Amino acid sequence: MNQLILAVVALVSGAVLCLLNMSNRIRAMLGLASQAIALALVWSVAVPVLTGGPEVSGGVAWAYPINAIRVRLDALGAFFLVWSLPMTFLGSVYAVGYLKKYFDGPRHVGVHFALLNMIALSFVLVYTGDEVVSFLFGWEVAALAAWQLVIWDYTNQRVRFAGFNYLVSTHIGLLFLVAALMILYAHGQSWDFAHLGRWLSANHGATRNVVFLLLVTSFGLKSAFFPFHSWLPRAHAAAPAHVSALMSGVIHKAGLYALVRFTLLMGTPDEWMGWFLIAFSVTSALIGGLYTVGQRDLKRLLGYSSTENVGIAGIGFGIGCLGLAWQAPVLVALGFGGGLLHVLNHAFFKCQLFYAAGCVYQVKHVVDMERLGGLFRLMPVTAVCFLIGGVAISALPPFNGFASEFVIYSGLFGNAGATVWAKLALAVVGAALAFVGAVSALSITRAFGVVFLGNARDGSLPPGHEASRWMLVPMGLHALGTVALGVLPAVGFALVIGPVALFMSGVPGSPVVDALAGVAGTLSRIGLISGALVAAVVVVLLVRYARVRKPVSAGATSATWGCGYTLPNARMQYSGASFSSDFSRPFKSIMVLLRRQKAPAGYFPRDSYVVTDCVDAVERRLFNVIDHGDDTAVELSRRLREDDPRVAFAAGLAGVMIIAVLVLLAEGVLQ
Amino acid sequence: MKAVLSATHWVFVLLMPLLMVGVINRVKSWWAARKGPCLLQFTYDLRRLLGKRTVVSDTATPLFRAGAYIVLLAGFFAAAMAPMLGRFAPLQFSHDFIVVAYTMGLARIALMLSAMDVGSSFEGMGTAREASFSAFAEPALFLLIGTAGVATGLTSFADLIGALRETQHYAIIAAPLVVALLILLQAEAARVPVDDPLTHLELTMIHEVMILDHSGPELAAMQYAAAMKMALYAGLIAALLNPFDPFASPAAAVLASLALILAVAVVVGCIESLTARLPMHWVPRYLLIASAAALASMAVIGIGASV
Repeated sequence: MNQLILAVVALVSGAVLCLLNMSNRIRAMLGLASQAIALALVWSVAVPVLTGGPEVSGGVAWAYPINAIRVRLDALGAFFLVWSLPMTFLGSVYAVGYLKKYFDGPRHVGVHFALLNMIALSFVLVYTGDEVVSFLFGWEVAALAAWQLVIWDYTNQRVRFAGFNYLVSTHIGLLFLVAALMILYAHGQSWDFAHLGRWLSANHGATRNVVFLLLVTSFGLKSAFFPFHSWLPRAHAAAPAHVSALMSGVIHKAGLYALVRFTLLMGTPDEWMGWFLIAFSVTSALIGGLYTVGQRDLKRLLGYSSTENVGIAGIGFGIGCLGLAWQAPVLVALGFGGGLLHVLNHAFFKCQLFYAAGCVYQVKHVVDMERLGGLFRLMPVTAVCFLIGGVAISALPPFNGFASEFVIYSGLFGNAGATVWAKLALAVVGAALAFVGAVSALSITRAFGVVFLGNARDGSLPPGHEASRWMLVPMGLHALGTVALGVLPAVGFALVIGPVALFMSGVPGSPVVDALAGVAGTLSRIGLISGALVAAVVVVLLVRYARVRKPVSAGATSATWGCGYTLPNARMQYSGASFSSDFSRPFKSIMVLLRRQKAPAGYFPRDSYVVTDCVDAVERRLFNVIDHGDDTAVELSRRLREDDPRVAFAAGLAGVMIIAVLVLLAEGVLQ
Repeated sequence: MKAVLSATHWVFVLLMPLLMVGVINRVKSWWAARKGPCLLQFTYDLRRLLGKRTVVSDTATPLFRAGAYIVLLAGFFAAAMAPMLGRFAPLQFSHDFIVVAYTMGLARIALMLSAMDVGSSFEGMGTAREASFSAFAEPALFLLIGTAGVATGLTSFADLIGALRETQHYAIIAAPLVVALLILLQAEAARVPVDDPLTHLELTMIHEVMILDHSGPELAAMQYAAAMKMALYAGLIAALLNPFDPFASPAAAVLASLALILAVAVVVGCIESLTARLPMHWVPRYLLIASAAALASMAVIGIGASV
């Protein structure tokens, strides 16, 4: 408990020190040092809690209407804290490399590091808050700090717009959250989570359903579920790479944390909630995945893949809810275990991918994949890290994404459904997840192939060299984690056993240990297979390359075979747009492709071009409605002839009928 | 017993790819009234390639050569868990089918990346096709497995495929599944009507164009891995239809499996000789037939259980 307070003090004083008048370099180091101290302090509390120690709690009395500020760190909060803080620290280390060129300039870089400290602070508040006030306070600190971090490059109007878009979206989410909490307060008469939980688990019915829907909407907005995602690719493309990484990998996991926390408070969710969560998440995963295919901006692509991955984690949580509703302990373990494990794994590989994109940006000053190419030889470390992250994000063995999706798949194909139709429906969800996996393999092959392989497409970009060590080391550490959790998935699962056990306590007479041990056993087998795969590849390649070193077989290189065409150039390589055009044709209505072109004309054509861009259909429609909504209403009303008695009569009749139905409902005649 | 079956399984995994390619080519030459190549011609070709030195494109990175071996190794890992002799696989545990599907996915991504590595527009085109067609094929495989899983109540790949014949409505469930598997085989192993291994234009099709720049042992590895993938799918069909339990009557099960795999090769050869390849933009719809077939089996199970 004291360590947590000390950590908060360290983070706040670090942030204040960052703002003082001294050189940017010292400010940055102070920010890093305070985060390191806070990290050590938080770990000293959170790690024992996570490994089975008692919960930590405390509180102070406060004035009415708050009554008391309470802090409680249980296994669920500890699980999120244990990796959120170190990843924020690594992100800050990366920031040193990323912002190094501003250090000697007039710009005050300390603010940026102070804001990163605020992000770390918000994790401590959100993941330990045990009543609504401190939870919402942390929630808001994270939102505001993230907004300020996004608009680092605020002189650019597009960046300001993206930041504003994010700010508005996140506060719309807050409105839903506050609405839900107010309903809860009205019934529970307390800000305490424990009180709210007692009310939620005791009162099944319409109010609880409304609260659930409001909460899912709010947390969906926070974690960028479809269709609440449209702010995300914008914000991620505009922010500095480490901010995108932290937002996508760590900050928005708070939305999933809150979802899991309230599910836990709810005790036994209704069955429809599980199915609803699954449907909502599958839609997110599918559409997020489809959007990744069309993007040409590397960071936008990664942003959409966040929508996809929160969807995958959400499928896990949905399975867990079904398990709770059906009283099936194995499903609870697989669902929540797989979902939480995926949250952790996603944090590892998503940050790593964003860091790699940031390195590319730092070197080439663009992330438009149609202008890049052949970066593997220029920046091999970045390329390998991107590749590892890419294989992991496509959920392929031997890396960590596979382990968590395996657990989720086991839930879907576990034959634990209540009826045959439920089992079949879960299997169909599994097939949808397989489609998502294949789609993300497609888009990552496309991104990696176009950006890192082949030849450079645009000679006008700066030649550049590998990025700074400040950036490579955090990225490398994330890559290490991705590989380690892939080869030793049981270690990752050991981290989620604590939180999952919290859920299992709700299932009467559940053999917690058996259910968890079964999953852990399968996972260690998966780890063995992944390890064997890595080892086999390494051995075969070593043997093969040892043979190649012999003079006879070495040194045979030649130009790429052009099928007889003698003058190929780098612009003729398959581009990102051409790569995705085959696949995206059946999905035209979702992936709206804008195309501007000027065809060559005349005998000596000059200046012809084709530009394609995949835009967000949801966002376009949203803006369309906002832009032209009132016009449409006016247009509609104009079409109705006011003096037509039939219209007036019909409208009056409809109004009377609605009032009659409302009265009957209120009287309880109709159900 | 298990050791003997495992050994037989690996012999099948190693030899069936060679034999199947030979049989398919022989069937195709029968239909064309040619004498056709020797049954082991593919084996000779591979041996010839192994003796050659590799020529690498000067655009390629180390990934290019590594890709070929990752593809081959991932194929072997998948083969350890995929049933060939009926209800048996050397490595069996619950939900191992996910590992099989995803190691094949790893093989695919390694293949696609080594194709992209040489910076050729042709290979890029092949990669794009492979990626998008496999995205349409993947759900079909999982629907099929889900169907078999719900029908049998088992969770390991070999069990749920091999034990399907003990369930109710076996014939009605199995028929669409065989169709689905055959379509998947054609898509994954690059056969007509999805792809043409002879690659007469359509800018050299899918699989063959991706290995245009491979040579020597790397090319041999890629070609053998592709043939092995076909053998694995044929093995799945054989396991689904195999009427014998490999533990109860091993000899009969092995022989039945051999006959069924070769029969699949004959069917593939006949289809290849008698039908034209589909236009590329029809392929996704063709692959949807596989998903639809699996969904039909699902409906049978659901209705069968409700009635």
